[in-house]
Amino acid sequence: MSADATPLKRGWQRLPAQLRPRDADRSKIGQPGSGRLWRVETVVLLLVGLLLAIATVNDVVLATHTNHRLVVDLRTWRHYTGHNYKNVSAEQDIRKYTTTDVVCGNTTPGPPKGRIQLCLQVTGPTVKGLRAARGGWYLPPKADNLHRYRYGCFGPPKQQGVCPR
Amino acid sequence: MSVAAQSELRLARTRSAQWAPALAAVCALVLVAATAEIVLDGAVGHSALIPKSPQIAGWLSGIGERLGFRVFLIAILAFSAGYAGLWALGRTVSKRWAIALIAVLHAIVFVGPILLSTDVFSYIAYARMGVEHGINPYLHGPIAIPHDPVYHYVGQDWKLVATAYGPLYTLLSYPFAPLGVEGALWGMKVLAMLASAGTLALVWRCARLREINPVGAILLVGANPLYVIYCLGGAHNDLVMLALMMAAVSLTFARRDAPAAAAVVAGALVKATVAALLPFMILARRSRAQIFGALAALVLGLLIGLLAFGVDGINVIAALNRDAAFVSSDSFPTEIAHLVGKPGVFPIDHDLLKAGLVVVGLHLMWRTWRGYDWVAASGWALLAISVTSSWLLAWYILWPLPLAVISRDRRLLVATLAVQALFIVHQLAPLFAPVS
Repeated sequence: MSADATPLKRGWQRLPAQLRPRDADRSKIGQPGSGRLWRVETVVLLLVGLLLAIATVNDVVLATHTNHRLVVDLRTWRHYTGHNYKNVSAEQDIRKYTTTDVVCGNTTPGPPKGRIQLCLQVTGPTVKGLRAARGGWYLPPKADNLHRYRYGCFGPPKQQGVCPR
Repeated sequence: MSVAAQSELRLARTRSAQWAPALAAVCALVLVAATAEIVLDGAVGHSALIPKSPQIAGWLSGIGERLGFRVFLIAILAFSAGYAGLWALGRTVSKRWAIALIAVLHAIVFVGPILLSTDVFSYIAYARMGVEHGINPYLHGPIAIPHDPVYHYVGQDWKLVATAYGPLYTLLSYPFAPLGVEGALWGMKVLAMLASAGTLALVWRCARLREINPVGAILLVGANPLYVIYCLGGAHNDLVMLALMMAAVSLTFARRDAPAAAAVVAGALVKATVAALLPFMILARRSRAQIFGALAALVLGLLIGLLAFGVDGINVIAALNRDAAFVSSDSFPTEIAHLVGKPGVFPIDHDLLKAGLVVVGLHLMWRTWRGYDWVAASGWALLAISVTSSWLLAWYILWPLPLAVISRDRRLLVATLAVQALFIVHQLAPLFAPVS
């Protein structure tokens, strides 16, 4: 122990050599064990990186599929209603994560949600650029697609009790 | 290797060295063009990428077209490609050209509109709540000032939320409040620019002290696509935090331990995340001065925060816990949840992520104790915080970057840039299937 060692450093000298602090990292200069640690860390980092990369690509693919589906949903609404309106909104099933979407738009020309709205429940695969509209309901002007505002259900939503009245 | 092969190799190296400055110039031009495209198109307004804002860049609005996702993403990809090119060719860029490029990128963003985030309007709202209305921003959200002109511009999600920023930052923002919304916006932009200039100057200094190429270091930070477009473009207060973080690193290199620790605490009183540096700094230097410096700064900061805002102003833990519960679709935990078929992140996942973060922190502390570069350990800790956060924004993955470019572990730089690249890739879905 050197004479000029601080009380703090003298305290560390009592620790076993394995636990004492070092002034420089020797993990990469061939020390037994430490070099292995560096390699283990690198492998773990690569595995984590791989997981993040796979998850990112998977998410991009999922989002791309969802975007494609929403484009088809909007086209389906315009096809069924015969209205080529720009402001049509599509909602996904965020409770059960099915591919059944609800697309709402005005029944007559006007600002977004400014008129009585027709909502269609769109489902199934894309065939010739369209999906099937199984049924739907109406919403009063300026109302969001909430259970309490729905009326005039038709198709399966009528049996499912989607409309309160 | 034969003499002929050696001379051929030398010739090829000479040729590539001749082309390198020209390639670097092309990369720099791509960066400038991409930034200008985003700013000029953004100045037109009426874009989902540009928050509702006072017309501070109205004089630019006649040049571009409305900024759409497709153009924005192509510009970001071009910027990233140019940035990657500059990374590879960094040694061939002169100091003067590097500074000029960074200055031009900063100037373009400075004159343009606020990009991609409404956060700056929250900063202004909190300042105006305190100064103009006498309302404590640590107790109420901007909803408390519905008739103030800034309220209109605050993001919908943040109107009910009290400030999560440290008391030092809130006090720093107070002088901007009487300037009106537009004046405060310019004030915030100037603050972001100054903080960025300070961060880059300190990165330069630290790189030189560590005998790392300082030109490459400032290019990697100051010409980074997320740094320029997202962080500077949104005038985010993360830049103030980064400047204080780099001041702490620079002071530690100069063996001024007490002011260094005080700088970390000051940074944490802007944004709490930077406190992650302190254990590594203390474990590496093992000096009492650091502990005294940190404690003195903490006591002073908390006292000022207490006097200015009451107990809520210094209750950092509550603010962190609240923010940790947020979930964004861009976060890696959300992406992994989707990968395993779950709709998103659940409370149990938050606990697992916190446990993982503790394990990483302990490992890094042990490594630092055993001589590992504390700057790299701090960078890894900040990277781990951003990767495990369920609320991830582009500027969060910038936190480790200034440390990564001056660290002795090159893996940190590669990992940080890889995570940033994945963040950009995750934005690309509208490029493959634009919603009409």
